[in-house]
Amino acid sequence: MSVAAQLTAFQRLQLLLTRHAGVRRIWLFVRWLLMLAVTFIGLLGVTFFIGRKIPIDPLLAMLGERASAQAYATARVALGLDKPLIVQFLIYVRDVLHGDLGMSLLTSNPVIDDIKRVFPATLELATLSTFIGIVIGVPLGLAIGKYQRVRDLFMPVVEILRPIPAIAWVPMSIMLWPNNEASIVFITFIGAFFPILLNTIHGVHSLDGVLIRAGRCLGASESRLLLNVILPGSLPHIFTGLAVGMGVAWVSLIAAEMISGQFGVGYFTWEAYSLVNYPAIVLGMITIGVLGLACSGIIRLVGVLMMPWLAFAPGSKQ
Amino acid sequence: MTMAVTNAEVQKGFIDVRDMGVTFGANDNKVVAVDNVSLNVQPGEFVSLIGPSGCGKSTLLSIVAGFVQPTHGEATLDGKAITKPGSDRGVVFQQYSLFPWLSVRKNVEFGLKMAGVEQSKRNVTARSLLDLAGLLSFENHYPDQLSGGMKQRIGIVRALATSPQVLLMDEPFGALDTQTRVVMQEILTNIWQQFKISVLFITHDIEESIFLSDRIYVMTARPGRIKAEIKVPLPRPRRAEMTDTPEFASLVQELKGLIREESLAAMAPEIKDRGLSGFGMKVGPKGVGEIF
Repeated sequence: MSVAAQLTAFQRLQLLLTRHAGVRRIWLFVRWLLMLAVTFIGLLGVTFFIGRKIPIDPLLAMLGERASAQAYATARVALGLDKPLIVQFLIYVRDVLHGDLGMSLLTSNPVIDDIKRVFPATLELATLSTFIGIVIGVPLGLAIGKYQRVRDLFMPVVEILRPIPAIAWVPMSIMLWPNNEASIVFITFIGAFFPILLNTIHGVHSLDGVLIRAGRCLGASESRLLLNVILPGSLPHIFTGLAVGMGVAWVSLIAAEMISGQFGVGYFTWEAYSLVNYPAIVLGMITIGVLGLACSGIIRLVGVLMMPWLAFAPGSKQ
Repeated sequence: MTMAVTNAEVQKGFIDVRDMGVTFGANDNKVVAVDNVSLNVQPGEFVSLIGPSGCGKSTLLSIVAGFVQPTHGEATLDGKAITKPGSDRGVVFQQYSLFPWLSVRKNVEFGLKMAGVEQSKRNVTARSLLDLAGLLSFENHYPDQLSGGMKQRIGIVRALATSPQVLLMDEPFGALDTQTRVVMQEILTNIWQQFKISVLFITHDIEESIFLSDRIYVMTARPGRIKAEIKVPLPRPRRAEMTDTPEFASLVQELKGLIREESLAAMAPEIKDRGLSGFGMKVGPKGVGEIF
């Protein structure tokens, strides 16, 4: 009897995975999709059951206290609230899969419309703030890393301001800027700025000195050295800073939106709480999660495109 | 090729180091790295500087390259004092110093780009130099895709791209295995003969210094001084078989004797610190026993 014949189906499957890189990659992707699906169904379940089990009767909220018993009953049947919970949930999931997130039971707007309305603002604010963070953080980081004098001038200030969380800037920011939008951008910028700055400085410091000497020997002036050797050499660290900065910026942005009471997914989620609209709270959370994932994905993608040489660097996965 | 050599250029590339001294630190931590060194490299000459590790030979090269300022004395290139790094002196480092974010060809082009040479000309020069190094087919690779020997060959032609008058080499083959090293030495002599360029070559490998050089300076252990100056009368072009000749062997013997004394002197404190003196290590005349 051959060895292969003695293997169970499961063992054969395992062998397939270890031997074929292509199969393994597909499996990893499928697993990732499954995990994503489970997470989302879980969140949808929470959304749904909380929405249905809250002590406030959604029908009362919709129709008002003085609605007739007749109208009440009709609405109840129309919304499918007379069916068992599990059936209601399956209908809900089906609707979600069709891109229909259902009606907000409290505002009577389709939830998907609510989300569509608020999320572009959040993305705009996040992009703008991170962009300002890069434009100020990277050149300042390069200068601090390279020149002792600039370091002596700025580092004490940086060390004092850095431990202050972006959210602690809210009162100051409101007083400092003319409108809510500018305040939010400022707060989010603060979140993105310090990780970008510190990682850029670290990138300059960890650059192999022989590369700088090589650049000088090949006739690079100070400014060209900065642009052609120090900047590209620090790029991997700058992108690390960008990924971390984006994460912190995201946290700060959502919190600032919640406080501002005017823009974005953060505001949407907070408003849903004020209106006791539990499904919208969870949908807001899911949206925040997905957008955050997309943002860090974009940064990683840009990093790979801008630094193709890293694929061959020692210690890379090849 | 843009760096075709004319007779006028052959006369350039005269390195003169006079009464050079370098001291690091101050007061109690003062370390004299190089003490009262004078040496020169004639135009088109290949000169090696050999000595035990820590004797300040790399410091000397750093001064000629313009990275370090001497405490006293001066270094000149064609009569002009050396104050800062410049593309008139090509430098090849011991560590791999190619820019990992640039392709092989862009690395070779780097010096020309800094000099403001236009893209099409840079491209032609870089390609002809890569062809010379036998690496034209790797022009679009990144340095991290290449072996150590390939990287150093590219390092050499990158240093030559700006047509410098001298080439300064700081143990460029130190990190390579023996077989690669021997091949690299032959490649270097070929390149050197084509370019007729002055070379100051730092090494601690005796055979390497004899095989490559016209003249060898032997340095003492710290503080580094010039202990001896030896001419290498072997004919050119040099070939690998030459290392088996009696002339070569006697030069190796002579240099070995000179270096051994200095290596032992340099290591004496370490050996003492580790308590090896108690092991009765007596290795004949000028051996460990004599030092203690």
